[in-house]
Amino acid sequence: MTRLSRSPETTPVVVSCCRTAIGRSDAHHGVFRKVRGDELAALVVSEAVARGRVPPECIEDVLVGVTQQRAELGGNVARTIAMLAGVPFSAAACTTNRLCGSSLQGMSQACHSIMAGAEDVHVVAGVEHMQHLPMNSEIDFHPQAFSKSSRAVLSMGLTAEYLASSRGISRKAQEEYALESHRRATQAADTGFFKSEIVECQGLNANGVLTFIDRDQSIRSDANLAAMKQLKPVFLPKIGSITAATSAPMSDGAAAMVVMSEATARRHQIIPMVRVLSTAVIGVSPALMGMGPVYATRKLLHRSGIHLRDIGLFEINEAFAAQAMACVEELKLDHDRVNVCGGSLAIGHPLGASGARISTTLIHAMRDRQVHLGLATMCIGLGQGIAVVFELIE
Amino acid sequence: MPEPITTLSTLVIEKLSGGITAIGINVPGHSQNVMNQDFMEELEQVLTFLQQNPPRGLLVESLRDDSFLAGADIGQIDTVWSLPSARVKELCDNGRSLLDMFAASPWPSVAVIDGVCVGGGLELALACDLRVATENPKTILGMPEVKLGLLPGWGGTVRLPRLIGTGPAIELIASGDVITGSQAKTLGLVDACVPVHSARESACAFIEQTIATEDYCKRRAELQLPQVLDKPESDFLLATTGAVIVSRTKGNYPAPMVAFDTIMQSATKSMKEAAALESKAFADLSQTSVAKQLVRVYRLGERNRRDCGLGESAQLTSNESVHVNEVQKPSIVGAGIMGAGITARHVRSGFITKLVDIDARTLEQSIPAILEEAAWDRYHQKTNQERVNELTGRLMSSTQLSSIADTEIVIESVIERTDLKRQVLADIEATVSPSTIICTNTSTNPIATLADVFSDPTRFCGMHFFNPVRQMSLVEVICGPDTSDSTVASVVLHAKRLKKVPVVVQDSPGFLVNRVLTPYLHESVELLREGVDPSRIDKVSRRFGMPLGPLELYDMVGLDTAFYAGLVMANAIGDRIEASPVIPALVKAGWLGRKTGTGFYSYKSTGHDAKIESINEKLGDLIDPYRLAEQQMTDEQICDRLFLPMLLEALLVLDEGIVRDGCDVDLAVIHALGFPAFRGGVLAWGDSLGAAEVVHRLDQFSYLGPRMTPPARLLAHAESGRPFALVEERGNLLPKTT
Repeated sequence: MTRLSRSPETTPVVVSCCRTAIGRSDAHHGVFRKVRGDELAALVVSEAVARGRVPPECIEDVLVGVTQQRAELGGNVARTIAMLAGVPFSAAACTTNRLCGSSLQGMSQACHSIMAGAEDVHVVAGVEHMQHLPMNSEIDFHPQAFSKSSRAVLSMGLTAEYLASSRGISRKAQEEYALESHRRATQAADTGFFKSEIVECQGLNANGVLTFIDRDQSIRSDANLAAMKQLKPVFLPKIGSITAATSAPMSDGAAAMVVMSEATARRHQIIPMVRVLSTAVIGVSPALMGMGPVYATRKLLHRSGIHLRDIGLFEINEAFAAQAMACVEELKLDHDRVNVCGGSLAIGHPLGASGARISTTLIHAMRDRQVHLGLATMCIGLGQGIAVVFELIE
Repeated sequence: MPEPITTLSTLVIEKLSGGITAIGINVPGHSQNVMNQDFMEELEQVLTFLQQNPPRGLLVESLRDDSFLAGADIGQIDTVWSLPSARVKELCDNGRSLLDMFAASPWPSVAVIDGVCVGGGLELALACDLRVATENPKTILGMPEVKLGLLPGWGGTVRLPRLIGTGPAIELIASGDVITGSQAKTLGLVDACVPVHSARESACAFIEQTIATEDYCKRRAELQLPQVLDKPESDFLLATTGAVIVSRTKGNYPAPMVAFDTIMQSATKSMKEAAALESKAFADLSQTSVAKQLVRVYRLGERNRRDCGLGESAQLTSNESVHVNEVQKPSIVGAGIMGAGITARHVRSGFITKLVDIDARTLEQSIPAILEEAAWDRYHQKTNQERVNELTGRLMSSTQLSSIADTEIVIESVIERTDLKRQVLADIEATVSPSTIICTNTSTNPIATLADVFSDPTRFCGMHFFNPVRQMSLVEVICGPDTSDSTVASVVLHAKRLKKVPVVVQDSPGFLVNRVLTPYLHESVELLREGVDPSRIDKVSRRFGMPLGPLELYDMVGLDTAFYAGLVMANAIGDRIEASPVIPALVKAGWLGRKTGTGFYSYKSTGHDAKIESINEKLGDLIDPYRLAEQQMTDEQICDRLFLPMLLEALLVLDEGIVRDGCDVDLAVIHALGFPAFRGGVLAWGDSLGAAEVVHRLDQFSYLGPRMTPPARLLAHAESGRPFALVEERGNLLPKTT
């Protein structure tokens, strides 16, 4: 895909995007502890369709990213989510899995389809309920897959510890980064910035009282370095540098967007938000999974001819503070242009949903700040990266 | 079937159809096939024979059930300590070259692995082109050398990484874990895992296929290649697996890290260079005291496994005077924590077990916990619910003692009140048949004070399990005044069927383990009274290698329990060691340890799994009335203060004939107290210092009075230079039939 002029028929645009608030995966306190994951997804799918004023009958495919595809999110759940959301039977549905990059993958796939002149109007969504369906349970990895690496690469935390130690990222620096993520997210929540992207969803408060949830549960307005200092390392007891404060929290949530060709949008008098200019995926050493965004971004830039300096805003998914910091450092980015509304460390990281979540936040921030180009990128377990670049339609 | 063409003492050569030759392994005189001198020599002869009569393909199999080939003969390993490093290297090189010759033979070979295949046995299997394991649950594969403080020395560190990858090979070798045939298949360590009955046929099919495709030639070439990890992956392996090894071994066990370093270095080099690195690492480790102690501890365990529990004078089976009873129907009376733990152990070991408690509520509450413990899946660290359902049928409970009338062994485990125990034991005897063995699980009641309720006290003894039963493998089998040899031997056998380590002890206060523990615990409180910081005391003990410090142990056991145990011990050792006033003061304050959330430490919660929050802030005030003159001490002195009294008590235990020999003391402290195995047990630790040095160190503590006075036995050892605890084989072995 290059940034060459393309006809409106084969230019993908995002016409709407929204998300639930992100809940903490906690059996006692999580706001969505009694809400099924498929319901969260159906809610945002129907809302994205409504917000985009998309005639439901023209939807051709529904792509939902989920990493833990079993139980309430099992059996090509994209189809049942579409049915729950009232998408007509005539739309197809497919569940995508590129682990943390799952919904950004759905997004890319939808764009590729549009560029190829195949299916046009897509709903792209993602969902994860990490309390109901914990990460990596009931998975039986083949041990021979690790003959050229080690089973320890299955622990994302250890890969982040490795980045921290090999790049000399101190625990204090990680905590300062995490604190800033909470500060930015708190500001975005308090000033009402997230109002335009969050769809209110029914949940429970800590006392079990029915509450309409419109605020991300993991954002700590009272985050502070003194409290962070007390925490114990999670992945390497005693000697490690990464704690609960510098890792993305386990989360429950969903996000959705509607993607179609610019021509179709015009035909339906829909005003699109952004164009999708280019996408890229790449594989790296499993131990370097946290650096996936760097290599995916470089590949995307090379392929599209876009210069890094032309990109005004970045969303780099924060799986771990050390990992996000390593990417910012390696790409020599100005932190003031990265994750301006806070990142997953504060907002939460519902794996399959996060690609659509960071894109949603990025697109809203681009509109808010009138930034021409924005890039969303993520690291992916066992060594991958994915990146997508958006162009604001003014 | 064709006749074997040559018969040697450990190997049998057999010609199969189609030009395939089978080598059958059968090493006499050992419970497992082992690679002793005879075996190695004959293997070389067989190779020569084969070179003269080349087969199309070769099958290597065991002629015994459940044992393919264990490693080198432990008796031979136990001789390397006295050899110079260069000679040890040579021994490694010789064994490895033989296996290398085997591997380089022009014909393809396949190992049929049914039963135990560990250490050198797996190294031989790795020298074959193909490996077929069986689904037999007794089939296990691994390289457990690190558990003996060593590493594979016959090519294991060279071939394994090249076969399954550097990371997985390090995991297997540095952990010393063994895996099943099916796990080995998934790991790529074997090429197939098949039912036992089809193993030979499958192996022959493999041979034919590999001859036809010449696939084995390609594989041989590939396996010569170094394993190159990309830089991030090898750095990552060091940062993760390396860190795990360091945290697990705490610097006390060098072998896993040496194995890690050796493999990381050698995997990227040629086979020849890798072999040299392996020999060097093995020779280096063979010079460490840790390896020597671990091999000794292994031998103690093996000796215990064969031991019937009786003195040399007892006559086994050959004469009817001792009848060893392999019981089928066990019962447990009392469903408290200990009773439940003992019951769970029985159910887990396959016994149909009866549990009696007069209180229906207690039974109701304990049964789910018993089943969950019995069905605990150690590998996945959780209860296997399917297994719970299967095991339910093995557990029968009742509130009526009459329900155990037909039982063959009863373990009474009611609370530690002498009057209650006497009553229950009398009731049990009145209920069961005259041949039933009756045991009491007690830590404080002398067996003699319970034995006199019996009309036939010969069938009665103590069977002391340690809490928690699932973790502590020691069982003290305590002889009462009239306990018969048959009873002792039967209870010892029963403990082994529960996969416990039984040590026979004579009736005396505190028996063995609590007896030697008491002076150590006591000393920790004396140190507190002399102004030593509690966390420093525990830290010194942990650094010595104990799993918990003495004050943490007090808190775990419970200060009330410790207090009552102390009263019992006062009978035995009160003249040397006075009960400390601090313990009753803690009990009075209601600080009973983890169970109340406060003891020497403050805990984040209450209960058995409570975690330490900090030192109990008010501890200082409580100790104030009992302060002794403050002493400035080094960590080494604190360490000696803690462990020398334990050593002295162990020597007195030997004097009193409470155990048969010092090895039992070492085995007991390792399996009941977690005494560090790398030190070989408390007496072996004493031996590593030398009796004269122990006397010398005690001298600086002479101001502490009788508890630090060298006993006569110590002085005699210092004089003669004889060790406290030599490993000597016992004459009375467990009869084979049982």
